[in-house]
Amino acid sequence: MNISLVLLATVLLIAILVPRYGLLATFSAMRQRLQKELTEDALKFLIERQYLGNNPSIESLAGKLHLSHTKASQLVGQMESQGLLAMKGLQLTLTPAGEQLGLRVIRAHRLWEKYLADEAKMPLHRIHREAHRLEHNTTSDQLNRMEAEMGFPVRDPHGDPIPNISGKIVETEKMPATEWPQAKTARIIEIEDEPQIAYQQIVATGLRLGMHVRILDRTKDSVVIGDGINEYRLAPIIAANIQVAPVSEDAEIAATHPTLAQLKPRQVAKIVSLDETVQGFTRRRFLDLGLTPGAEIYPELENFFGEPRAYRIRGTLIALRKNQAEQIKVTLQETI
Amino acid sequence: MADNFDPANVLIKAEQLRNSLSPAFRDDIVQSIYSEAEQIAKRSVRSTSQKSVDFDQRVDQIVTSPIFGLPIMLSLLALIIWITVSGANVVSAWISNILFPIGAWGSQLFTQVGIPWYITGFLWDGIYRAMAWIVAVMLPPMAIFFPSFTLLEDLGYLPRVAFNLDWLYKKAGAHGKQSLTMAMGFGCNAAGIISTRIIDSPRERLIAILTNNFVPCNGRFPTLIMLSTVFVAASFSPVWTSIIAATSVVGVVLIGVIFTLVVSWGLSQTILKGQASAFTLELPPYRRPNVMRILYTSLVDRTIFVLGRALQTAAPAGAAIWLLANINVAGTSLATHTANFLQPFGYALGLDGVILLAYIIAIPANEIVVPTMMMMYLGAGSMVDGPGSNEGIRSLLMNQNGWTMLTAINLMLFALLHNPCGTTILTIYHETKSVKWAVWSVVITLGSAIGVTFITATVARLLGWG
Repeated sequence: MNISLVLLATVLLIAILVPRYGLLATFSAMRQRLQKELTEDALKFLIERQYLGNNPSIESLAGKLHLSHTKASQLVGQMESQGLLAMKGLQLTLTPAGEQLGLRVIRAHRLWEKYLADEAKMPLHRIHREAHRLEHNTTSDQLNRMEAEMGFPVRDPHGDPIPNISGKIVETEKMPATEWPQAKTARIIEIEDEPQIAYQQIVATGLRLGMHVRILDRTKDSVVIGDGINEYRLAPIIAANIQVAPVSEDAEIAATHPTLAQLKPRQVAKIVSLDETVQGFTRRRFLDLGLTPGAEIYPELENFFGEPRAYRIRGTLIALRKNQAEQIKVTLQETI
Repeated sequence: MADNFDPANVLIKAEQLRNSLSPAFRDDIVQSIYSEAEQIAKRSVRSTSQKSVDFDQRVDQIVTSPIFGLPIMLSLLALIIWITVSGANVVSAWISNILFPIGAWGSQLFTQVGIPWYITGFLWDGIYRAMAWIVAVMLPPMAIFFPSFTLLEDLGYLPRVAFNLDWLYKKAGAHGKQSLTMAMGFGCNAAGIISTRIIDSPRERLIAILTNNFVPCNGRFPTLIMLSTVFVAASFSPVWTSIIAATSVVGVVLIGVIFTLVVSWGLSQTILKGQASAFTLELPPYRRPNVMRILYTSLVDRTIFVLGRALQTAAPAGAAIWLLANINVAGTSLATHTANFLQPFGYALGLDGVILLAYIIAIPANEIVVPTMMMMYLGAGSMVDGPGSNEGIRSLLMNQNGWTMLTAINLMLFALLHNPCGTTILTIYHETKSVKWAVWSVVITLGSAIGVTFITATVARLLGWG
């Protein structure tokens, strides 16, 4: 036999069979990973549905995960044997173990979303997909460290509660914007990130988390939401994805205050609060620089192109861009 | 009562309390720290006069005013570059007069002892010569540029530049402080990239890192100045020579700045997409500069650091240059073979094979591009200075080696836009801890260099020019 042929065959065999790095090992590792992701996605879906108070069927699971009925049944069978879920008639119910694992995935997803939005400053419409990719490959230890570093956030950037380390979710009072009484001020506390189309449509209008709004008009085919400056018109089915909560009295007063950007040169003011939408990195930076409630501040130096503008605060001079100055509420003092 | 002290219960209680906190409790904590600090300060710090604040305000009004702001900024930059370039020439000559005789002496000694010519050549004409060249050409401009730049930094002027220019960078999706890292890049791109640490948001910092190379550093300035004096300015009457040369260098620098902004914008729209994050800029009070600290930070932290990295990469480059020039295959040197092989590609970019070869060999440090080119054109066996006079260089390049005005202009563009030097690429890797971004920096710059020179060459040839 030809020696080079033997050599080639040996090399090929090694390439296929070597543990860990061989083709076979790589392939099975990939399959295992895909299987794990599928299982985790299924758990997440089941938990979300359980919160809404219904136990889904295999069909709805198959639809959600884009699987064929056979594949979905296989998945369910496998998860049953792992003790993650149980079939009750046609309904899928999570076992305590399954719920624990599912909450962990949700925790990973929402912590990642929080991190991507507030620390990495990724645009909001992209964080869901990115978090979905990352949630499967994060260890509990990494999650805990991330959570601690961000100061144990309670909600993700969509306003969804983040399960804590023991998997507990703290729910707060809320209702869809479509049910909120007209002419009463509400705070947007949640914009559901699924379905994506609805989410993108809401974000595109300019409605943001933490915004104070009123329902101006509600008809059969549109809901008009106002924030005091702009009006946003949404279809009721879209508006139902916005969850609102009552506004505390302090916050309602703060909303009427002017912002730093509205001050005239050398007009002295006192900082009232930082906008709620400013979170993470930016907020810490503001606080580090001494932009804390109660501090006296006035615009000192104008730029000939309009922005940034430099403000004198606590004796130092700090330049801010206009959109940042708009995030700081102030009350006017008498001019020096 | 006893079970209240069970750690688990304490944790549960803490959890409950935490959830009942208002979302702004962190603000309250910071606020209380600040008010405490304010009280302590009020008790123990006494301010004698309001004078310095008034002075600062008056200076600020001038340096950020619409009339004087921009001119002051540009003239300071021009002044620093002028001092650097003219001062460095003198010092470079001194260092050359010390280092090159040592090389000559060393190789003479080797020859006398009877060491074969190829070992002598490899060590002294290859490695030693490249390292000596780098020290002679790179050290003086850095030793002048960095202290003067650090002086402005210490005075407190630089943040005002960022303040003046931020609107431009905001449009490009970048940070105003990028103007400072760019200015640092005039001294050395590797130092410019290290200085991006002043930009605290990661996205804007990466943009500043990836585009820093579009600012020509000290190593590339000599090439630009030589070309604009010998080619561009030579077409005008002698009275105007230096002004035209200076103008064309400034023109090239402006093209670089435009490229920086356009590429920054492109990056912030594509691979580095994201919201503009916190732009906060402290404008510190003006201070009397601390000379010792300036000398220390600029010489030790910047100059020696960059020079050290450059020397590490220069040694192998010197070896490669010598080997290419001295190994002959079929009667001609490897260098000539490679240059001939690169010729068609070089021609398409409006350059030639020798220039491309020089740029490939000079990846470790851009300072050796011109000497390597001269070595090739003169057929020498090691890096050399070109002919002494401008006319000499002009006739060597145009009459004997087929250069045209197009070659000169495209070489200037290529020198401005091409890939970062080895030191800079290494620094990008160190700063980003990522091979991916180091590779991107090369792809972006080399891509623009090849694209721009190809387009100018093609258009010029279609118009029958060049």
